[in-house]
Amino acid sequence: MNVVELKNVSKRFDSFVAVKDLSFEVRQGTIFGLLGPNGAGKTTTIRMIVNIFAPDDGDVLVMGRHMTADLQSSIGYLPEERGLYKKMAIGAQLEFFASLKGLDPKQAARRADEWLARLELSDWKNKKSQELSKGMQQKVQFIATVIHEPELLILDEPFSGLDPVSVNLLKGIILDLKKQGKTIIFSTHQMEQVEQMCDDICLINHATKVLGGSLREVKRRFGRNTVIIDYEGPDDFLSDSLVKRVNRFANYSEIVLGEAADAQELLKRAIASGARVNRFEMVEPSLNEIFIECVTGKSQAAKQPAEIGV
Amino acid sequence: MKKIFVIIRREYLVRVRTRAFLLSTIASPILLLAFIVVPTLLIIRGGGDRQVIVLDQSGDPALFNLIQEKAKTAPQESDYATTGGPRPVETRFALTQTVVPPDKDIDELKRQYNSEVEKDSDKAYVVLRQGILDGVEPEYYGKNVSDFGIKDLERAINTAVIQRRLMLAGFDEEKVLKYMKQVEMKTFRVSASGESEQSGFQLFQVAFAMLFFIYVTVLAYGISVMRGVIEEKQSRIVEVIVSSVKPVQMMLAKLIGIGLVGLTQYVIWVLAAVLIAVSGAAFFATNGIALPNVPVSLLIYFVVFFVLGYFLYATLYAMVGAIVSSEEEAQHVQFPVMILIVVPMLLFGMVMRNPNSAMSIVLSLIPFFTPTLMMLRIAVINPPLWQIVLSMVLMVLTILGAVWVAARIYRVGILMYGKRPSLAELGRWLRYA
Repeated sequence: MNVVELKNVSKRFDSFVAVKDLSFEVRQGTIFGLLGPNGAGKTTTIRMIVNIFAPDDGDVLVMGRHMTADLQSSIGYLPEERGLYKKMAIGAQLEFFASLKGLDPKQAARRADEWLARLELSDWKNKKSQELSKGMQQKVQFIATVIHEPELLILDEPFSGLDPVSVNLLKGIILDLKKQGKTIIFSTHQMEQVEQMCDDICLINHATKVLGGSLREVKRRFGRNTVIIDYEGPDDFLSDSLVKRVNRFANYSEIVLGEAADAQELLKRAIASGARVNRFEMVEPSLNEIFIECVTGKSQAAKQPAEIGV
Repeated sequence: MKKIFVIIRREYLVRVRTRAFLLSTIASPILLLAFIVVPTLLIIRGGGDRQVIVLDQSGDPALFNLIQEKAKTAPQESDYATTGGPRPVETRFALTQTVVPPDKDIDELKRQYNSEVEKDSDKAYVVLRQGILDGVEPEYYGKNVSDFGIKDLERAINTAVIQRRLMLAGFDEEKVLKYMKQVEMKTFRVSASGESEQSGFQLFQVAFAMLFFIYVTVLAYGISVMRGVIEEKQSRIVEVIVSSVKPVQMMLAKLIGIGLVGLTQYVIWVLAAVLIAVSGAAFFATNGIALPNVPVSLLIYFVVFFVLGYFLYATLYAMVGAIVSSEEEAQHVQFPVMILIVVPMLLFGMVMRNPNSAMSIVLSLIPFFTPTLMMLRIAVINPPLWQIVLSMVLMVLTILGAVWVAARIYRVGILMYGKRPSLAELGRWLRYA
C-alpha cells in the first residue's frame, strides 16, 4: 500500500514554478529519501503533503485519500528550521503539540513523560525551552513530531546540529518506528545518511523529478563505473582521459570513469606513473556522486571536478 | 474544532500565568489613579499649617472672633465643591490678632512683618484697615499667594464682615445667620434612565479612566498578538501548527485566546471596582468622598467596546506579525496601526468639550475611533441609541473585513521568510487561491 502518492503535481507562486509535474509513491513501512539541492522544491512538496498548500494541478493522496483534518493527525512533521516556544516549559509544550494532534490531556501527559525518559530529558520537563541547549531542543522537537504515534513521519534534516551520540539515538528510534510499520519521508543533504537508511529515493532539481526508485535500483542504473582508490605518490594519473571526475576524500578518492573506460587500464597507468596503490576497488557510485551528477548536469561535471569533503 | 480550543487554551494559559499579567492587572488602576489624583493634589495642596497674623485696625472687637470662627469651619462651599472637583486639602490657618490702634501707621508695621514673612513661607499676615466694615478691602501678605486655601480665608473674612455689618445695622444675630445660609447648586445628569446627581468633574474622571483603559489595553493586547505571531513565525512553530489546523483557524484561535486574557483583566477590574464601591460605601460617605455615579450600562459598554476594539486592532496586528520576520522590522510596519490608535487620543479633548457636534458624531462612528471616542461620548452624554448601535454595526463589519484580509495575508505571510513584501506583493497574496 502506498502511504503517500503524488500524481502529476504542480505548484506555482506567481510566475515562479516551485514544483512541476511531480509524481512518486511512498510505500508503507519504508523510509523514503526526498532529495534535492536547496530551492529545488522539496519544502513545497512536503508542504503539499501535509496540506499546508494545495497543489495547483495533480493529486496528493495520503493513505489513498485526499487530505482531511483527520488525516493530518496521523502525520508527524518536523520542519527543517524549527523551534519551540521559548518561555514555555518542555512538558507543557509537548502536551500542547500532542493535543493539537488529537491526544487527550492524560494520554498526552503520559506519552510526554515516556518520551522524555527515553531521550534522557526527564529532568528538564519543567524547564523553559530557552534554558535547554540547542541539541536538547532538537530532541524535544523530535518528540513533538512522534508523540502522537503518526503513521507517516516527515523529517526534514532531523539530525542537523546533533552530536553523534544523539544522532545514533534518533536513528535507532527511526528504524524502530519503521519496524513498527510506520512510514518515513526523510529529507536531507547528508547522502551517506540516505544510503544508510533509505529504501527508496526521489531526487528533485529545478522543480522536477530527475531520479526516482529504490536506492539499489538507482545505483545499479548508474552502473559500476566508479573506482575507490587509496594511493600514495604522484596523482598525475587522475588527469588521465579515462577519468571523468574525481571526488577526493581524506583517506581515498572516488573516481568516476569516462564512458567505456576500462578500470584495469587506469590501474596500469596509475602504477606506471609511480603511485603506490593500497586499495583499488570497483564500486557502485555513491549517492553523493549520483546527486552531483544529476544536479550539476553531465557536461558541466566533466569540466569541473567536484570536490566534496564529507 | 477541538484543535482550535487546544490553541486558545495555550494562548490563554501561557499569558494569564505570567507575573506580567498579575502586575498589569494590579498596577494599571493604581497607575491611572496616580495619573488623575497626583497632579490635582500637587496643585491644590497648600502649605498645611500657616500662621497668619491679623493686623486689626477695624476697631470692632467682635470681627476677629467671627473671622476665626468662620475660618475654622471653612472650607465648606468652595469653588471646587460646586464644580465637583476634588476638595482642596485645607490649609489650616492659625490666626492671631494684633490690634492696631487707629492712630498708628499700619504701613510702618507692615515693613517689619514683611521681613519676617519673606523668610518663612508658613507665615503670612492679613491687614484689616480702618473702615473695613464700610468697604475698605482686606489685604493678604505672604510668600506664597497661589495657595487655593487663601480663597477660604477670603470667604471667612467676607462672611464675617457682612455678618458684622448686618448686626451693627441692628439685625438680630439669629436672623442674620439664617438669612446668610449659603446656597449650593447641585448638578444632575439627565439620561434615558432618569436623572442622577453627577458633577462635571466626576464625568471627566470616569470618561478619562475608561478611555485610558481601552487605549492602553487595546494597544498592549494588540502588540501581544503581533509578538505571538512573530515568535511562531521565527521559530517555525507555525509550520507544525498549520500542518494540523488551517492558518485562519490558527489566527482566530490566537485572537480569541489573547482576547480572553484581556477580558479576564476587565472582569477583574470591573468586579473590583464594584466591590470597592459597595463594601466601602459607608466609609466613603463618612469621609466625604463622593464616588462617581457609574451606571451599570456604562460598565457594559466599557467591556463591549474593549472587545470590539481589541478584535479590530489585534487582527491588524496579527497581519503585521505575519508580514514581518522580526520584531525590529515590526517597529516600522506597525506604525500605521499605531497611528489609528493614537489619533483618537488627540481628538479626545475636542470631543469631550463638544460631544454632540456633527464632527464628534462622525468621528465616533469611524470604526477605528469608535472604541475610544464613542465610549467617551457615552460616558459624557447619552448619545441616541441609533448612534451607538450604528457604531457597533460598523465596527463588526470592519472587523469581519479585517479578518478576511488578515487571514489571506496571514496564511501566506507566516510561511514567507526573509524579504519584507511590497504592497503590490501583498495585493497578490490576497488573490492566492
